[in-house]
Amino acid sequence: MRARPRRTLQAVVVAVGLVVSCFAHKAVAGEEDDLQRQIETQRSGVTDLERLDELKATTDEITLLRAWLDEAWSLRSKHEYDQVREVLDRCLKQADLIRAKITASKLRAQLQRHESTLADLRAKISATKKSLQETVTRKRVLEGGGQNSSAPGGVQ
Amino acid sequence: MNAGGPARDWVVAVSFPLVMIALGCATPPRPRELDTYEALRKGANIQDASKRAPDLVASSEKLGTRASEEWQSNDLEESRRDALLAQINLKTALALVEQDQLKGRIQSVSTEEGQAQEELAGLSKDLASETEKLTLLQKYLDARKNADAEKQQMTTEQQRLSQQLASEQKIAAAQIALRTADTVEAQRYAKTEYTAANDMLAKAQAELKQGDFAGAQASADVAKKDADHATEISKPLYEQAEQAGQNKARDEALASDASAVPGVTVRIERRGDLQRLVIAIPQLFAKRQPTISSGHESTLDALAALINKYPTYPVQVIGYTDNRGKASELLAVSAARAQSVYQALASRGVEARRMMASGLGGDEPIADNHAASGRAKNNRAEIVFLYH
Repeated sequence: MRARPRRTLQAVVVAVGLVVSCFAHKAVAGEEDDLQRQIETQRSGVTDLERLDELKATTDEITLLRAWLDEAWSLRSKHEYDQVREVLDRCLKQADLIRAKITASKLRAQLQRHESTLADLRAKISATKKSLQETVTRKRVLEGGGQNSSAPGGVQ
Repeated sequence: MNAGGPARDWVVAVSFPLVMIALGCATPPRPRELDTYEALRKGANIQDASKRAPDLVASSEKLGTRASEEWQSNDLEESRRDALLAQINLKTALALVEQDQLKGRIQSVSTEEGQAQEELAGLSKDLASETEKLTLLQKYLDARKNADAEKQQMTTEQQRLSQQLASEQKIAAAQIALRTADTVEAQRYAKTEYTAANDMLAKAQAELKQGDFAGAQASADVAKKDADHATEISKPLYEQAEQAGQNKARDEALASDASAVPGVTVRIERRGDLQRLVIAIPQLFAKRQPTISSGHESTLDALAALINKYPTYPVQVIGYTDNRGKASELLAVSAARAQSVYQALASRGVEARRMMASGLGGDEPIADNHAASGRAKNNRAEIVFLYH
């Protein structure tokens, strides 16, 4: 009588163990897929970032990001999921940094264009002022010459 | 040497583990990521970053502190990771600060750009206005200059034309003077003056062609003067020669016409300077009669026509007789006869003032008075045309 419940308990324990083992395996497989998706998503994001970086201002940062994503992939293959999450978190922040730098580079380029335009305008202003001064001087000279012989009536 | 050997071995045996322990307890070198982070923190914009992205900066500082502690605890890998994250957060915050600064500068530069554009537009407008005025003024001055030049050119041209015209007129006057000289054959009668005039005229024409109007005028004046002088010299000589020629021709014509008159004889005589064309009308009168016998009308008509044809010749009508009778009677008869002929001619239209009637009696017989036929011939009248 005592041996029967014990066997039953053993059987239950084995069954529970099997079920837990099965669920644990399924949970691990789900986490791995999730990390893989995250890595792939971030990789495609890198491509977008490269396209966005028209001025090539973040080449080094993007290279680093790619290396970290490769590292994450490698860690995932080794089932080092905590480390993968750490690396992915760093990758996200790196992507934020890259976006901020790209925006800054575009703003810098925009500023340079504006400064260039402003410099051109100032050069034109200077040249126009000079031309205006020369024109006025020349006109005065001509008016003086004209008045010496006979002053024009309508022209001033 | 041997005494020191064990002691040395003991020192080595004791010091080696101590060194190893000391090395094991020493702080490891700082991770490079931590150094970089610290360098970033010392940047000028860190306070701006704290204002712009306080969460990022706080997180960064927290991570940095932790990384430093981990380094102190020899957790190098952890320290490196946290330092890296701290770095990324701080860099992101700094990039955001830079963005803001750039936006601010863009705003400022855009404002300046707008002002500069306005200023440039104003200046360009002023310049365009001044340039237009200048262009107009220049055009006006050019036009006036051209007008002055044209006026000057026209005046010059007018003066030139005037000079040319004056020269041409003077040359024409000289040519006319030369043609006038030609009409009196100055080439023949005043050869020197005529040649000089011709030469001067040629010179004047050459000078005119060369545009030397003053010279042309002076030469033309001299040519005209010479031509006039030649004309002056030649005219009387020419007229004289012409007159002589005309008179000779007329005299010849008169003689010819006179010979054609029926019933007369014609002869030409010279008495001193005068030539005499004598037309004798024999047997015009009966013996001792002063009246004209009948049958001579046609002769008298022809004679009247001849006298009228040559109106410049003075005409003598002379009556003659034969030599029988008293001389005074003969003179009276001859005068009466002359008068008869005078009357007959006057009645035929001959101007009386051209004729002089006279009688010479029996003088100047044209035939022998001893014979009756001779006497009949001597009873005659003669119409005498006088000329040089």
